[in-house]
Amino acid sequence: MKKQEIVLGLMVFLIFIGMQNSVAQLSGRQIMEKVYYLPSGDDTQGQLTMILENKQGEQRIRKLNQYIVNMGDTEKKIMFFVSPADVKGTSFMNWSYTGGKEDDQWIYLPALKRTKRISSGSKGDYFMGSDFTYDDLGDRHPDMDNHKLLKEETIDGRPCYVIESTPKDEDYMYSKTITWVMKDNLVGLQREFYDEDGDLLKTLTIHKFEKINGFWTILKTEMKNVQKDHRTIIEFSNVQINQGIPSSKFTERSMSLGQ
Amino acid sequence: MKVRQFIAAGFMLFALAIPKAYSQNSIDFSGYVRNYTGLLITDPNDFSIVQNTFDLKIEKHANKIAFKLNPYLYHYFDRELELGLREAYLDMYFNNLDIRVGKQQIIWGKAEGVFITDVVSPKDLREFLLPDFDEIRIGVTSVKLNYYNGNHTLEAVWVPIFTPTQMPDDNSIWKPQYDFPILPTWDYSTSDLTPGLKNSELFARYSVMASSFDFELVGGYFFYDDPTMHITKNINTSTMQLTGLIVRPEYHRVAMSGGSFSIPIGDFVLRGEGAYYNGRYFQTESPNEPDATIEKNNFHYMTGVDFTLAGVKLSAQFIQEYIIDYEEDIYNDEFENTMTFLAKKDFFREKLWIELFSYIGLNNEDALIRPKITYDLSDGFEILAGANFFLGSSGRFGQYNKNDMAYLKLKYSF
Repeated sequence: MKKQEIVLGLMVFLIFIGMQNSVAQLSGRQIMEKVYYLPSGDDTQGQLTMILENKQGEQRIRKLNQYIVNMGDTEKKIMFFVSPADVKGTSFMNWSYTGGKEDDQWIYLPALKRTKRISSGSKGDYFMGSDFTYDDLGDRHPDMDNHKLLKEETIDGRPCYVIESTPKDEDYMYSKTITWVMKDNLVGLQREFYDEDGDLLKTLTIHKFEKINGFWTILKTEMKNVQKDHRTIIEFSNVQINQGIPSSKFTERSMSLGQ
Repeated sequence: MKVRQFIAAGFMLFALAIPKAYSQNSIDFSGYVRNYTGLLITDPNDFSIVQNTFDLKIEKHANKIAFKLNPYLYHYFDRELELGLREAYLDMYFNNLDIRVGKQQIIWGKAEGVFITDVVSPKDLREFLLPDFDEIRIGVTSVKLNYYNGNHTLEAVWVPIFTPTQMPDDNSIWKPQYDFPILPTWDYSTSDLTPGLKNSELFARYSVMASSFDFELVGGYFFYDDPTMHITKNINTSTMQLTGLIVRPEYHRVAMSGGSFSIPIGDFVLRGEGAYYNGRYFQTESPNEPDATIEKNNFHYMTGVDFTLAGVKLSAQFIQEYIIDYEEDIYNDEFENTMTFLAKKDFFREKLWIELFSYIGLNNEDALIRPKITYDLSDGFEILAGANFFLGSSGRFGQYNKNDMAYLKLKYSF
């Protein structure tokens, strides 16, 4: 073996060892920060199908079109309900802010023909009767919890970090969450939600994810309430990322037109 | 077959046949079928309403244009079949401008269940305030322009054809109480307004939907939707007794300006709305007013709050009407105060809703209490059971104290 090859091999080995050490040294907080700041594109649009299933296996299906734009310090999201027929034409808009300001939320009800501002204070409310609260559907900033790396574990052949997050706000609806984060792409794969008594309440499982236009995107997820034995499956289809969504999409005009 | 039934049958056939024919052209068909049965709680427990409804919405949205047609059919066991158009309009979309032409419902303001700046679409009060609000509001044939600049909207409405409030028939249980000392003679010679430029109405609205607050500024120059009852008394000069009464309904122009706002404060949303009316007419007993009416300006305003407590959505509003430069002989009070309350909660993941809405009239100590339970049997099919209780003996709600009713609605949306 030539001397140059030995030196090069040694450098590669050292770099690899160094990477292993640096990853191993990541704290729970650092991992959750990386998850939070994982690039997701400037805008995303697609169709959501939400399947609500009770313990008898009966299903109710809600379909809606969703548009999200990230404007730096503000994220704007608008949803247009497509079915079932009695909620068709309803639209919901949310503006969330990075600076800790409360979200702004509006709902347009076609029967009332009026856009109504609603309180965003009840993030613990369940979204459209699903097992997801409004808070579950948003990105929770890592500053709001204390994080602890519990262990590393392999799920379905995927090495994961297992992180316990305890809320700083004692009145938060969950006493803690435990998240499995895939080591290779830092995408969350599974999460457990514990109620105020410390009992397991819900499990969130990611069933399908893909890289679309260079961004990891969750395409199918399931939230199961283990205490009440019902679940909600959300499928995200026809996903387009960074295709450009005009700012006029996030206005009263758009809400009232239902598109 | 009667003509009306023939038209209705044609409407049904059209509704059933067209969706297949035009589904490929992306014309959207939706609507509902509903049975609504109400029973008076007080003896002799008559049916207050038995109504079968077919409501169809036909819509098409293209890039620059759209249209909507919303015919409806009401079938009653004791009335003639009613076929009507709730809305029928064309839309044209430009970069920052929308133009809507045709019969349309136009809704303004932030108040719920009360009408302060919400003055463009008149009301169908044939069943008092009990129907759903999209059935209470009557579409107006008009031209509406909306100019947009971000979340700022400037709206102008021109209504060439005046549409009044639709009042209950004389034999309806919802006919308002009139306190005439003797049976009057009605003179309808001034109750119709000829459609035309001279009798057209104008409205304008500027609205902002921003982070932290929403507000609207509105104005209008229009005919007040409720008629003023000009009364002529015939008195026997020798006995000084009332021998005749002629009531002449007439619609008068008013100018209105006002606004509304909505502000989130923590877990609460604070709402407010107010309007100043110039040129309203009020009934009076003043001997100085020979036709028993007097022109006054008035304020109408409300403040309300929405919040959620233990999963229950709660809302309260206080509404006040104030007659400026008040005179003692006016029938209405100088200040008329009303409150509304709403409590609503869902169960079983939004399959079951329990709701209680109430109007409280503070001046006459009367109220309308409206509990209801809605159960979604399956997607799009709901069963609604409710009741309407009228408390008090006079006032806006107390006058109907014999009309307490329980009802059931079965509704399938498609």
